[in-house]
Amino acid sequence: MYATADMLLMTAEAHAVDQPQETPVEAVLVRAVLSGDRDGFARLYDLYAPLVHGILLARVPRVEVDDLVQDIFLHAFKKLHTLRDAAAFGPWIAMIARNRAVDFHRRSRETVEINDDLRGSEAHDSRAAEILELIRSLPEAYRETLVLRLVEGMTGPEIAARTGLTAASVRVNLHRGMKQLRQKLGVMEGL
Amino acid sequence: MKDDYLWDKTGQPDPEIQKLEEILGSLRYQPKPLELPLELPVSRRRNYLPLLAIAASLLLALVAGGIWLRARTQRAPQLHEAQYVVPPSPIEARKPEPITPKPVAPREEIVVNHKPRHRSVAPVLSKREHEEAVAAKEQLMMALRLTTEKLSLVHRKTQNPTPANQIKNQHRVG
Repeated sequence: MYATADMLLMTAEAHAVDQPQETPVEAVLVRAVLSGDRDGFARLYDLYAPLVHGILLARVPRVEVDDLVQDIFLHAFKKLHTLRDAAAFGPWIAMIARNRAVDFHRRSRETVEINDDLRGSEAHDSRAAEILELIRSLPEAYRETLVLRLVEGMTGPEIAARTGLTAASVRVNLHRGMKQLRQKLGVMEGL
Repeated sequence: MKDDYLWDKTGQPDPEIQKLEEILGSLRYQPKPLELPLELPVSRRRNYLPLLAIAASLLLALVAGGIWLRARTQRAPQLHEAQYVVPPSPIEARKPEPITPKPVAPREEIVVNHKPRHRSVAPVLSKREHEEAVAAKEQLMMALRLTTEKLSLVHRKTQNPTPANQIKNQHRVG
């Protein structure tokens, strides 16, 4: 008798085509999970794992990212009842990911050997790792947006919708970040 | 046009951005199943409303009981008071008498009529007052019965929450 998350999702998606102001898919899924549907959370994970992955990749060593993604979604599952606005799942989990990255660095300061070891494992990676390092050297606002755009393949409007940032902010971050990355890439090519 | 490609991948593609996308694409998220422990309960929103309702009902019952008891106490007559009997003056009491041993009379005497507590005042009430008290008691009992019923209802609702919201939401979006 109860509507499953899939049914609700299909209905919401079908209406989203006709009426863009309808309930966001995230809100439908969050309500389904809070009603006891665990599958709804798997759908949220599929939708938002690339975002969380990108946010972490811009901040922490690559080898740590996958485990942290799992940890963050586990934490989100436990704390989902504290989310007041169901439609704000994206900004909420993005903030959890940023905080977790800060925690990671705070803890890794105490374990210098492990940190150096991880950095070394990335150093022998291909050119992708070098460019990623350049992106990580940019200001925080630019690096996250650039990773989501260039690594995760999200468009500017998608980044804005998922992170809760305004489209204008994302556009500015993308252009300024790209400009700085081009300068750094030019310097690197010159060496 | 190149700006549009960076923004939403439309317009004329920028070769440099395309190359970066190609290189960095190797770091892209690789889908993995989420490993949620089976014993982990589904997160639910905590609802403090039933607890507040219970607390408010109890408080209301207590206040009503207090008011009723106070009203009843004020209506009870103050019949049995301690009486102070003025003793005869000492001069009168000490009239010359032959020296014969005589028991000394007490100088003053307080006649205390032991006043019964309020619990046993009821028989002193007039018939009309008694009827009023009984009616008030009936009202209080009725209020307590109603409160008990409401508390039971709240308890049942908190124990068996109906997931009616899904159907409601489905109706709204569908």
